[in-house]
Amino acid sequence: MIYRAFSLFTVLFTLAQAASAQDSWGDEQWDSDWGTEQDQSINVYGFVEAAIGGRFESSPYHKRLSIAEPRLQLGFDERWQDITWTAKADGWYDGFDETWHGQIRELNAQFTVFDNTDIKVGRQVLTWGTGDYLFLNDLFPKDWQSFFVGRDQEYLKAPSDALRITSYFDWFNIDFVWSPEFDHDNYIRGERLSYFNPLTGQLTGDDPSIQFIEPTRDEYAVRLFRNYDGVEYAVYGYDGFTKSPEAVTENFQPTFGRLTVVGASVRMTFGPGLVNTEVANYNRHNAADHWRALVGYEQELWTRFTGGFQAYIEKGDTQTRTVLTTRLTWRDERDDLNLSLFAFVSPNQNDGYLRPTFDYRIDDNWSFSGGFNLFFRETPNTFFGQFTENNNAYLRMRYAF
Amino acid sequence: MKALFLTALSTAVLFVSSQAISAEKSAREIVEQAELNAYYSGDDGRSAARMIITDNQGRQQMRQFTILRKDQQDGGVQDMMIFFSRPADVRDTVFRVVKQVNDDDDRWLYLPDLDLVKRISAGDKRTSFVGSHFFYEDVSGRNTELDSYELISENEDSYVLKGTAKEPGNVEFSYYEVVIDKEHMLPIESTFYNDSGEAYRKMEVLKVETVQGYPTVTHSRMSDLTNGGQTEMQFRFMKYNIGLPDSIFSERSLRNPPAEWLQLRD
Repeated sequence: MIYRAFSLFTVLFTLAQAASAQDSWGDEQWDSDWGTEQDQSINVYGFVEAAIGGRFESSPYHKRLSIAEPRLQLGFDERWQDITWTAKADGWYDGFDETWHGQIRELNAQFTVFDNTDIKVGRQVLTWGTGDYLFLNDLFPKDWQSFFVGRDQEYLKAPSDALRITSYFDWFNIDFVWSPEFDHDNYIRGERLSYFNPLTGQLTGDDPSIQFIEPTRDEYAVRLFRNYDGVEYAVYGYDGFTKSPEAVTENFQPTFGRLTVVGASVRMTFGPGLVNTEVANYNRHNAADHWRALVGYEQELWTRFTGGFQAYIEKGDTQTRTVLTTRLTWRDERDDLNLSLFAFVSPNQNDGYLRPTFDYRIDDNWSFSGGFNLFFRETPNTFFGQFTENNNAYLRMRYAF
Repeated sequence: MKALFLTALSTAVLFVSSQAISAEKSAREIVEQAELNAYYSGDDGRSAARMIITDNQGRQQMRQFTILRKDQQDGGVQDMMIFFSRPADVRDTVFRVVKQVNDDDDRWLYLPDLDLVKRISAGDKRTSFVGSHFFYEDVSGRNTELDSYELISENEDSYVLKGTAKEPGNVEFSYYEVVIDKEHMLPIESTFYNDSGEAYRKMEVLKVETVQGYPTVTHSRMSDLTNGGQTEMQFRFMKYNIGLPDSIFSERSLRNPPAEWLQLRD
């Protein structure tokens, strides 16, 4: 099966090279193709990628293979009639479930009305908030499965079908996002990565008998923001549902409880670095409320070596969870090798998650990446600890055009 | 506090010797004029740029981007946005800088795949700009206050000045020599020397064009004299005093690049 996946990669790669053959640059081409009004044509861009990865140890719940996929992404954008049209789609063969998949990541139109308002409608990726891999007020859908098996960071954000209206004023700006259909995270539910099921009190792999009941309502998110003298202030609101199933129905089926979030953030330079702080109140309507708070600091420690630190707390009446993170990043002199270590550690749950990664840019087309997803625990029922059976390593080779 | 310390230091320097002051002053005047011509022409500007990066084995890479710039004050605070179009992995990435004079620059990077506005902490400015042989500081301009200058020679066409960092611990060079051409008052060659007095890095201007009356470097080269390898940079479609509104330089332009200001035409 892996052989089949990689022979497909060869085919995709050959196609991609053919598509980008006219894109090679030599000295004689200094003067060509600057993307002027005259020589603008519809440009298709994208990449072909092969990824392979496996678990360190056999898991009682899954096979060793954690990822094996050849993937093709194609995108194009075009400005027509003062509207920017964007389309971007992925197709891949998933060697884990042995099936073909397709996903439209973007299909949207963006335009400006009344000079001060930008509207983006259609499928799009949405992000806001100040945390680094910690999300308090960003309740847009995330793909944790992709994140934990080593797909590119781009895939941590899942697309939303949404209407986004952003208006800019002298005193503040306002962002409003409406999703007509609730988008949950691509959360861990057993079919690819095992997790701790609190209903049965045990670690669980693929169990088709568990039916997740999804809400069919819409959701809203709003942000008021301003940059005043280099200090970025924002106030956020969200009304919808928890992004992973945290509640149960009367029939004890896992489901998504109602959720309303109100929060705020500040980000600014501080001494030689950057400081950010963010808070959010999670009102879960049918369950206990809790607060989330974050303080982060980042600084270049030595030339080309940057350190980031975050302290995070989730506090409810009965439960508290604390998490500390560090991100250490080093890049080489030519900016083509990037080494990074991201560590999550929870002092009060005695668990954690380490993400060492490398990215090597061979040239303008080829790049090579790899890394580890390492969870550790004291008990299997904690946030990161439940995923320990899924510890894995991966490599990715990409040809971008 | 740091600024206060610098003020005290420059006051102390003023009392050293009157002869030293007059020589330094004229060298400084030359450098400051060259800085204004190189980085502050007009009140604002737009330019498309392209770099060809050649490593010491002859392998080439390319970068292409469009720059919008607006000066809050000549020789002072400057707003800048850089919109990348090539290569594929940085396509639609936008870099926003508020260049400060006596403080660290404010910098943001927009990553379109994640819709992420990432704020970047202040970093060493003498590191590669987007993988090229040019440093970040070569592109945005090195604050002339950081160095002291002496005029080492002068002929009909040019001045040759020697620059030495006031805080040598912050830079990789021991000193540099810059040739400033008298016709345009622009730096046309800079050579950087290490502690053993060897030249290891050299910038050469290959072409100067006059755009709307402003002499403008449109082709330059930065060479690594130790390891080999070089980057050539070309500018095209330069326009000055186009009336960029302040509002362009904001988070809005990261997510929705201002198409009307980015149209490339001569």
